[in-house]
Amino acid sequence: MKSSSISMEDLKKAVGNLPNDSLSSTRNTALDGFLKFGLPTTKDEDWKYTDLSRISDISNRWLAEGAKQDIYDPSEETIKSLMNSIEANWLVIANGIIDTKYFNNDKSIDIKRYSETAAPFIHNRPLSYLNAALMKDGLKIYIRSSTIKPLGLLILDNTKANTSLSQVNIDIEVASDCKAEIIEYHHSIGKGDHYSNSVAAIKINKAASTYYTKIQDRQINHTQTTHTAIDLKKNSILNMACYDIGGGLIRNDIDINIDEPGVDASLNGLYLTGENQHIDNHIKVEHRVGPASSSQEFRGILNGSNCSVWNGKAIVHEGADGTDANQKNQNLLLSEKAEINTKPELIIYADDVKCSHGATVGQLDESAIFYLRTRGLSTKQATEIITQAFAADLVNRTPISQIKNTVSSLVASRLAKLIMDH
Amino acid sequence: MLEIKNLECSIGDTEILRGLSLSVNAGEVHAIMGPNGSGKSTLGQVIAGHSDYVVTKGTISYLGQNLFDLEPEERAREGIFLGFQYPVEIPGVNNTYLLKAAVNAKRKHQGLEEVDAFEFLKIAREKMALLGMDTKFLNRGVNEGFSGGEKKRNEILQMAMLEPRIAILDETDSGLDIDALKAVAAGVNALRASDRAIILVTHYQRLLNYIQPDFVHVLSEGKIVKSGDKSLAVRLEEKGYDWVNEGNIE
Repeated sequence: MKSSSISMEDLKKAVGNLPNDSLSSTRNTALDGFLKFGLPTTKDEDWKYTDLSRISDISNRWLAEGAKQDIYDPSEETIKSLMNSIEANWLVIANGIIDTKYFNNDKSIDIKRYSETAAPFIHNRPLSYLNAALMKDGLKIYIRSSTIKPLGLLILDNTKANTSLSQVNIDIEVASDCKAEIIEYHHSIGKGDHYSNSVAAIKINKAASTYYTKIQDRQINHTQTTHTAIDLKKNSILNMACYDIGGGLIRNDIDINIDEPGVDASLNGLYLTGENQHIDNHIKVEHRVGPASSSQEFRGILNGSNCSVWNGKAIVHEGADGTDANQKNQNLLLSEKAEINTKPELIIYADDVKCSHGATVGQLDESAIFYLRTRGLSTKQATEIITQAFAADLVNRTPISQIKNTVSSLVASRLAKLIMDH
Repeated sequence: MLEIKNLECSIGDTEILRGLSLSVNAGEVHAIMGPNGSGKSTLGQVIAGHSDYVVTKGTISYLGQNLFDLEPEERAREGIFLGFQYPVEIPGVNNTYLLKAAVNAKRKHQGLEEVDAFEFLKIAREKMALLGMDTKFLNRGVNEGFSGGEKKRNEILQMAMLEPRIAILDETDSGLDIDALKAVAAGVNALRASDRAIILVTHYQRLLNYIQPDFVHVLSEGKIVKSGDKSLAVRLEEKGYDWVNEGNIE
């Protein structure tokens, strides 16, 4: 059992020091929840390959230093340069503090803080409890009609102190019959150690369709966990793409719940890892009724001595006939020391289902490298071209061109760096 | 241009070339024929610099320099081209992208500026027309899902774009129907020049009806056992490779 625990006394004190407001009782309930669980350890099946001692270490140091939160007010220039060409209506969460000044009033999107409405539902999970216990506030977003500009969530952290923690909590609902584009973009700078704990609940109502893009481009020394719970209602469509470009210790949990028929959920993902990085994606799709389809396709490019994780699960419950579920995970290992623990999982209790799953782990095709070299390309150039193509095949599937362009250039520069270390 | 002396080479524990010597000058077209397993393809791979083939003896000098001092990409930039017997499929890598990267790698090596996109496409289209290739191939993945004939044409297209000093074409005729064979031959013939040498590695005489070689060599058990003019190829076709092995060596 690895990963030491978070100091409960210090945590209680930190929660107690937060302002006494309408969210206080939620924080205290969440604190009790967390005290009961503690941090997950590698003894827990779902956390077998991901050791959270880095999180307990950062958290304990941060708590001991007084659980202070630096205010970070990114300039418009910073935001523009970060966003490259992505045009969206941006809600900024900087060092855990919600900032709506870049958000233009938009008839199609209602936003309210939890403190103005109600506290969110808290999932029965240790990190969700930790998040809610320490959250200052959160955002309730209601997309009432099709988005004209995509809704952008820019989650930005700047760690000036030795350590910092930030909690992000977002609740999004997409109204029936509309089309929504949402971009969640995580970025961090700063010398200190940082842990960002982010929780999002998304409900997509009847016959609505949503393109959800999640980009994580944090610093290599920063840690992040995200939990995204998605509830899909009758005939709704979800297209989700997750790109992990940077980050140190990263754990993403995506839980998709299908309890009404006609749903179509498609998830794509790409993760790039090098030395000192660990990226863990856990996806779980619950098919409670049919007909409905879900597909998961993730690709990884791994270099250096790192050990990453992919777990894609589909549970087809009794009676969920007409379910079509498939999972695919492909990995390209650039170094002999890189490791991936990949596990596509199907658990089926229904009779009439169509399911498939597969995982591949391979090295660069040496014959392709030689072929390109005989055409005058250097080994580095050949490696870059082949890995880019492997990534681009997935990235190019996004129908939103500005996301395709931004992600492609992020991937290209990250790969160039990874291959330099190859 | 290319001087191979007493070349011996192995892959793993298997000795393949056993004292091969060959001299190729600018402007010449050489055909190397021989039965399966005689070492024909190995010769091309060794010249291109494949690291699986270990040279145990002998020398290759190219334009006066020791070829073994050069990495495969340096050989390519210096004007050596190998047309593969089995061109590699590289999914997702755009054909135009590769052609352009290859042309520019060579131009950079020569101290020239990169070719501009418009000029590049114009040249590519001309060369493709000569080879009877549809321009849609430009936007496809390198050899991805190409038929055997398409792959071979694509090799010739790369050669035409790179304008090498010496081209080794490894069984470029295998698996081609008669129209594809003619198109490939036309592409090769268009590149014949007084400052360029071509080595055709082939199993059959058929290709030599369309590309007339200056010299024909017979390779057997890792060395050249007989050399002559194009009539040698015709005699081989009639009598089979056993004829050479039966000791009819002059």
